[in-house]
Amino acid sequence: MSTTAFQQVLHEQRSALLTAWINHVAALGDQHGSHEHALDALLRSLFDDILGILERQPTATLTLEHEESLTLALRQLVGEQARHGSSASTCVNVVLTLKHLVSAQLVTAAEVTLAEMSWLEQVFEQLTLLTVTAFVAIRERQITQQSLSLLELSTPVLRLWHRILLLPLVGVIDTVRARQITESLLEAIARYEARVTILDLTGVPVLDTSVAQHLMKTIDAARLLGTRVVMTGISPEGAQTLTKLGIRFADVISRATLRAGIAEALLLVGQQIAPLEGKRG
Amino acid sequence: MRMSELPPAQIPLHETADVVTARRAARELCEQLGFGKADQTRLATAVSELTRNVIQYANHGECVIENRSTATHRCIWVQVRDQGAGIANLEQALTDGYSTSGGLGAGLPGTRRLVDQFHIESTPQGTCITIVLTKPL
Ligand SMILES: Nc1ncnc2c1ncn2[C@@H]1O[C@H](COP(=O)(O)OP(=O)(O)OP(=O)(O)O)[C@@H](O)[C@H]1O
Ligand SMILES: [Mg+2]
Repeated sequence: MSTTAFQQVLHEQRSALLTAWINHVAALGDQHGSHEHALDALLRSLFDDILGILERQPTATLTLEHEESLTLALRQLVGEQARHGSSASTCVNVVLTLKHLVSAQLVTAAEVTLAEMSWLEQVFEQLTLLTVTAFVAIRERQITQQSLSLLELSTPVLRLWHRILLLPLVGVIDTVRARQITESLLEAIARYEARVTILDLTGVPVLDTSVAQHLMKTIDAARLLGTRVVMTGISPEGAQTLTKLGIRFADVISRATLRAGIAEALLLVGQQIAPLEGKRG
Repeated sequence: MRMSELPPAQIPLHETADVVTARRAARELCEQLGFGKADQTRLATAVSELTRNVIQYANHGECVIENRSTATHRCIWVQVRDQGAGIANLEQALTDGYSTSGGLGAGLPGTRRLVDQFHIESTPQGTCITIVLTKPL
């Protein structure tokens, strides 16, 4: 198979194109010295893969998903950019910059066919698509991770006393959070050999049947590990509503305030809070 | 009073976050109209039950909250409706402990006990539940 003008240009301008691309990309974002090396290496590898595809015989359909080395490098590049706070358009610009550089070389060369130009379009269309997809995937992962860590932050299990745990629940309790709460509680019960767990509901806005069922499951699991559960912070209105709904927490000690709950918990482990004797006399 | 001129709130129900929006709106109107804490809580809970059912069993629907106060009564009217598959046996669904999803089965019967008026209509084309809270001025 003979070399076309298109392939000829790509071949001759290869190193010039690469250098120009790297410079342009560096100008796009103000990359700091430290990541530059890693970025260059990535761009180099990506460049080789992209040119490899451009040099191929054009085909009607092109899917880049099977180009493993290319997709990997592109994902890495986008990941790198996203980590440094670049926007999706910056990532796309990195790819489009190379397209512009290549087109600029091609228009000056004679004998490049329309078919070849449309191949260039096709390849870069797919590359753009892949870049955007990679960017969205990374963002979504970041968001999931952030909300997971928020979940963890919002359900601290506190060790209140020897063998007494306090679980202050705040906010909306849905299926995901309920599972997370149960997991961290069970882990803490086992670790501290807890005998009593205080479940404080002061910060739970609505005690409906779904929340109640989640709590029941948490309580059941806690009891299986051998701890008593003391529930606190249910408002009088909340208690009334629960009764109307027909919900009873079996085998649970309930106290109106956290303070009364703590006193009860201490009693259960055979301790109590008492004034210092003899100090006043 | 200006309060009675407030436009009805129409809250689309598509995801669980909308349940929170709906019950918050119900609680706020309740408070604005001078209902007490207990009333606010029972209405918010009732709206929570009905809207969660919509998300859970019909995927989407809407919740309309209206101030229907008169010269002698404060009154909040709430309608929660969807175009899901409906409830085949209403009597069963309103029985304590009946659930097709492994729930407590307390949502519908509990809501009926929580509010002052409760009306339910369900066909294979959808479900429409109306609840009312009233209190003499
Ligand atoms: N909007 C609806 N569309 C279709 N089916 C519904 C709808 N609402 C309730 N149902 C049916 O009625 C049953 C009883 O509802 P109910 O709210 O009382 O209990 P539940 O949702 O199963 O459990 P929970 O106690 O958590 O509310 C449901 O299991 C479901 O089969
Ligand atoms: Mg329900």
